[in-house]
Amino acid sequence: MHVLSPWLRTPVALLCAAPLLAQSQEADLSERLYFSGDRAYAAKAYKEALDTWSQLLQAAPKSSHAPRVLLRMAHHQLDVEHKPEAALPFLERLRTDYIKAPEAAEGLLLRGTLLARQAQRPGDLKDAMAEFNRVLDLFPQSPACSEARLQLGRAWRDQGNLGRALECFLDAFHLQEDSPVAPQAMLEAALSMDALGDLPSCLKLLQRLRTKAPESPEAQEASWRTLLLVRHRLQKTPLRNEGPWPAGRTKWLKTPTVLATAPDGELLIFQNDLDHVFHLRGAELLPQGPPAPGTRILLNHPSGQLWILTKAGLIKGDAPVMPLGALSAVSGAALDRWGTLWVADAKTPALTLFPAEGTPRTVASPTATALVPLSTGGFVMAADADRKLLFLDAEGQPRFIIPYGKDLPTAFRTVTALATDGAGQVAALVDGGDYGEGIVILGPDGALLRQATLKALGISGRITSLAMDRDGGIILCDRRNDVLFRLK
Amino acid sequence: MRLRVLLCLPLLCLSLMAQDPALRDTFTQAKALWATAGDREGATTRLDSVVAALAPQALGLSPEWLQMLCESYNWLAVLDDRSAQNKPRAQVRLQALIDLNPDYEVDKALTSQRLAALFERLKGEKFALVKLSYAPEGGRLLVDGKAQAPTTRKHLPFGPHKLSYLRAGHGPSEVTLELGPKDVKEVAFKLTRTASTLTIYTQPSDVEVLLDGKSLGYATGKGGPETASIALPLGLRPEDLSAPFVIAEVMPGKHRVEFRAPCFRPRVLELGAEFGSPMADHTLEPVRLEASKGTLSVTSNWPGGELFLSGQSLGPLPVLKAQVCSGPYELLVRFPGGGFSRHISVDQGKAQELVARPKPRLAFLGLEAGDFTGRTRLQSQLETLGERLEQVAFLAPRPGEAPKEALARLKASHEAELVLLATPVPDKVIRYVELSLATLDGEEERMLLKPLEEDPLGILAARLNRLPRLTQADLGLSLLDLPGEPGPWVLSASEAALKAGIQVGQPLVLANGKPILSVASLLAEAEAASGTLALSQGGTTLNLPIHQEALELPLGSSGLSYPALLAQLRLLYAGAKGDAANQVRLNLALTYMQFRKFDKAVELLRETRISTTVGISQGTVDYYTGICFLHLGSTYQAEATQAFRQALKYPQSTLLGPDGPLVGPLAKLALEELK
Repeated sequence: MHVLSPWLRTPVALLCAAPLLAQSQEADLSERLYFSGDRAYAAKAYKEALDTWSQLLQAAPKSSHAPRVLLRMAHHQLDVEHKPEAALPFLERLRTDYIKAPEAAEGLLLRGTLLARQAQRPGDLKDAMAEFNRVLDLFPQSPACSEARLQLGRAWRDQGNLGRALECFLDAFHLQEDSPVAPQAMLEAALSMDALGDLPSCLKLLQRLRTKAPESPEAQEASWRTLLLVRHRLQKTPLRNEGPWPAGRTKWLKTPTVLATAPDGELLIFQNDLDHVFHLRGAELLPQGPPAPGTRILLNHPSGQLWILTKAGLIKGDAPVMPLGALSAVSGAALDRWGTLWVADAKTPALTLFPAEGTPRTVASPTATALVPLSTGGFVMAADADRKLLFLDAEGQPRFIIPYGKDLPTAFRTVTALATDGAGQVAALVDGGDYGEGIVILGPDGALLRQATLKALGISGRITSLAMDRDGGIILCDRRNDVLFRLK
Repeated sequence: MRLRVLLCLPLLCLSLMAQDPALRDTFTQAKALWATAGDREGATTRLDSVVAALAPQALGLSPEWLQMLCESYNWLAVLDDRSAQNKPRAQVRLQALIDLNPDYEVDKALTSQRLAALFERLKGEKFALVKLSYAPEGGRLLVDGKAQAPTTRKHLPFGPHKLSYLRAGHGPSEVTLELGPKDVKEVAFKLTRTASTLTIYTQPSDVEVLLDGKSLGYATGKGGPETASIALPLGLRPEDLSAPFVIAEVMPGKHRVEFRAPCFRPRVLELGAEFGSPMADHTLEPVRLEASKGTLSVTSNWPGGELFLSGQSLGPLPVLKAQVCSGPYELLVRFPGGGFSRHISVDQGKAQELVARPKPRLAFLGLEAGDFTGRTRLQSQLETLGERLEQVAFLAPRPGEAPKEALARLKASHEAELVLLATPVPDKVIRYVELSLATLDGEEERMLLKPLEEDPLGILAARLNRLPRLTQADLGLSLLDLPGEPGPWVLSASEAALKAGIQVGQPLVLANGKPILSVASLLAEAEAASGTLALSQGGTTLNLPIHQEALELPLGSSGLSYPALLAQLRLLYAGAKGDAANQVRLNLALTYMQFRKFDKAVELLRETRISTTVGISQGTVDYYTGICFLHLGSTYQAEATQAFRQALKYPQSTLLGPDGPLVGPLAKLALEELK
C-alpha cells in the first residue's frame, strides 16, 4: 500500500473534502435563498420574492428547493397575476427537470388543468389527459391523484365518453374518501349516472353526497338537483298554476318578454318597455348590463358574465354590441363547454358557431325556432318547419329526434321558447295544432314528463318566454298583462 | 497466573467436597492407628494426606474443616516430635498451625509440655494476646474491618489494630490497639442501647417485611434447632419457619409492621407506643400468613390464544376457573395474529371472568440516531404512546436494542403485527421526524411530524384509535332528503319492506314515535334500535326489521392507518365465520388494493364467496377481482374479462354500501373497454 508523505496528506485531504464542502455550501445557499423569497412573498413583495427564487434556480438548480420554487412561481402566475400562459413554462421545467421530486405530481396536475382549460375542442384535451394519467401512474400515492382522476373524468366527459368519465369520478372519491375534491367527484359521478340512464343510482349518490359533505356547495347543488329529478321524473304531478308570481304581484313589470335562470337560481327578466335586463333578487329588481333593446336571448357565461343576444348583436357584460354577422332573427343560443357560442337563426338553415377565439363557422341544421343547451353537453333544438325537437350531441349532430306532440293526445305546431333546468329536463312553450298553447316538459331522453295547456291552467295572456326554477317550478312571462305566472 | 489459581480454586473445592467422607475417614483412621496400634508412620502418612488436601484451600475452609486441619498439624507435630529423625519437622508443623490459626489451643492431653511451651514461644514471636469481654453479648466483632467470631481471646499480629463491636439496637464501640512483643491487652466492650430490636420468624419463608410502609427485605432461609422452642408449641417444625429476621432500629413510638408474600394474604402488626419503652430486644411469635387465591377464567371467540399471567404461561384458551394466587397481574393472551393484555387484580376467594378480544400489537422499534431539539421529549412521547392507544396493544422498545435488531427479532418471533420506527429527516437543522408504520410483511405508511409541535403524535394516535364501521343498520329502504317533504322520502324499497306496507314515493314521518326530519336522523334511530323500527307513513304505522348491511372500508382516508387496519382485519377474519368472514376478506383485499398489492388482493378475492346478491355481495367481489386483474396488466386481460362477466350476474350488487353505485353498469363499461 502506498502511503502519502505527511507533507502531502493535508492538501490531499482538503482536495477530497472540497466537493463535499461546495455541495454543503450550495445546499446552505439554496435554503437561505428559498426562505428569503418565502419571507418576501409572505409580505407580498412579489418582485423581490420572484427575483430571489430565480436566483436560487440559477445558483442551485440541483437543490431540493428548486422544484418547490418552480411550483410556487407557477402558482403565482396563475393565482396572483392571472396569467395561466405564464405559469406553463415553470410547470414544463418542473416536469422536464424534476420529475422525481414530490412537487412534480402537483405540477403535472396543474399543467394538465391549465391545458384542459385552454382546450378549444375535444381533441385538444389529449395533452391534458396525458398529464393527469402521468400523475396517476408516477405518483399513485400522491394526494394529487384524487383531483387528477376528477379532471381526467371531466376530460372523458367532454370527449363524450361518459362511461370512462363515470369510472374516473367514482375512483376520485372512492379511492380517496376525504379528498377535498370528493364532493365534486360525487356530484359529477351522479350527473354521469343520470346521463347514462341510471336515475336511481344518480339520486342515491346525490343523497350520499349530502350525507357525507352536507356543508359543501356541491351538497347544496345536490339538494336542488334531487328535487328537480324527483319532481319532474318520478312524481310527475300534473302542472298546476300557482297564479301571479311572486306573491301574487300583478302589473309590476313593463312588458316582460324574455326570461332566463341566473347562475344563483334567481330569475333574469328582460322588460321590453325599459329595454333592460333585470335580476330578480327576492322582491327586488336589479338592472343588469347596459340597455339592450330587442333582447332575444339571455345567457350565463361560466365566468359569471351575462351575455345578451339582441337584434343588433351580442352584448357581453358592459362591452359594446358585437354584431353577429348576417344573423338577423336570432331564435336561440347556447354556450358549449369550449366557450363557443351556438346561435340559431329563424331565417338561417344552419347553426352558427362563434368560438371564443377564431372565426365563426356553421353546422348544417334545419332552421331552428329555439335552441337551449343541455347539462350533458349537447343541445335541444326546435324545428317548426319539420315539427320536430332535435336532441343534439356536443358536435351538433342529432342523437335522437322527437316529433312535436309525441306522447300527447294531440300535436302542437310550433315551439315559441325552450328552457332547461340544468338537471336534464327541457320545458317547451308550444302553440298551434289541436293541442294549442301549452307547456310540455321532456326528460333528457325526450320522454314526455309533464304537460298542460294554458287553457287548462287558466292562463289567457300572451306568453312569450319561460324559465325553469330550482324548486321544480316553471315561470311564464305574460307580456300583455305585465305579469309572471308560476306553474308547479 | 493469579487467574489460573482463581480458576483452580472452585475445582479444588469441588474435589474436596467429593472426597469429604474419605478425608474424614482418613483423619479418623490416622488417630486410631496411633492411639490403638502405635503405628506412627501410618498415622503420619494419613495425616499428611489430609494436610495436603486441605492446606492449599485453607483460606476458604469452613470452620469444621479448618478445625480438622489444625488438629492434623497438632497431631503431626506430636508424631514428629516423638521421632528422632523427624523431630526438627515438629517446629515446622507448629509454625504452620500458628500461621493458620494463632488462636488455636494445642491439645494438652496429646501435646507434651515442652512442645506446648514451644508452641507458645513461637506464637509469642509474632502475636500478642488480646483478652476481650462483651456487654451485652451476641454482637458482631470486626477486627481491622473484617468480621471475626466474638471470642474472649484473640492473638493478633504486632502493630496497630482497630477493633469494633456492633449489636442491633445499640451504638457501636471501637478500640484502637498498638501491639508489641509479649503484650497482653484487655478490651472490654460495653454498648449503649439506642433502640429496640424486633426479631421475627415467618411461616412461610420468603416473606417481605415492611416497617411503616418501607420494605426492609425478606425473611428468608429456614429456622435452625434454636427455633424449636418457638416452633414446637405451635405444632410446627423448626424448618417450617424462616431464619430470624431482625429489625434493628425500632425507635420508641407506634409502628406498623407489614408482611407480604405472593399467594398469601398480607398481615399487618400494629405496635403500640409502649412497645419501645423501655428499649429492649423483642422476639415476636412466628408470623403465620394465610394462603390467598381466587379463580380466573379467560375465554375468547378467536382461536389459538395462550394465556400468560405476569409472564407465566397458563396454557391455551379457554382457561376455566384456574386457581390463581390473589394479587395484581399483567394478563396477556397471545393470539396468532395479535394480543390481548390487561392489568388485573385477583381477589381472595373471588372468581374473575374475561373474554379476550385480541388487538394487533404495535412494537415501537426506536428513534434512530440524529440530534435535534426536543429529541428527549419526543422519545418519551413515543415510548408512552401505548397509554393513548385503545385499539392496538403497544410494545415499548427493549433497552439497548437497536431498531434493526428489534425488527429481526420480531420477524422471527412474530410477537408483533405492526412496527413503528421514527427517523429524523437529515437536514442542516433537523426539522422533521419521519414515522414509518408497517406490518411485518412490509405494508407501510409514512408520516412526517415536527418534533417541537404541541402534540406531535396526536394524529398518529387518532389514526390508530379509529376503526371504521364495516356494517350499518339497514331497513331495506332507499331514502332521499327531499326539500318540501316532512321526512325522508322513499325512493325504493326491498320486497320485505313493500310487504310490510311501505309505500314508495311517500315520506316517512315518525320512527318509534319520534319525528324524523332527515335520512341521517332516521339512520341514527335505526342504529339505536334493536330488532325492528316502527315507522309512520301516510298515517299508518308499520314495523320494519333492522338488518346489518355490509359496508366497504373507506379507502384513501387520511384519518385511518391502513397497516393497522390490515392487522385489525386479519384478526377480525380469524374470529369470523361464514359471510361475515368473507366480508372481512373483501375488505382485506381492498386494503391490499390501497397498498397497490393487487396480486395479494386477487389471491384473497378469488377465494371469497358471499352468499348474498344485494348490496356489498358476490358481484362486488367479482367486480373488484376484475379491477385487480386490470391493474396486473394485459397478461391478465382474459381473467379480468371473466371476472367482470361474472359480476354482471349480480345486478343488485353495489360498491361502497347498500345504497352505493350498482356494480352491473360499471362491469359493463369495463367489459366494453376491454373489447
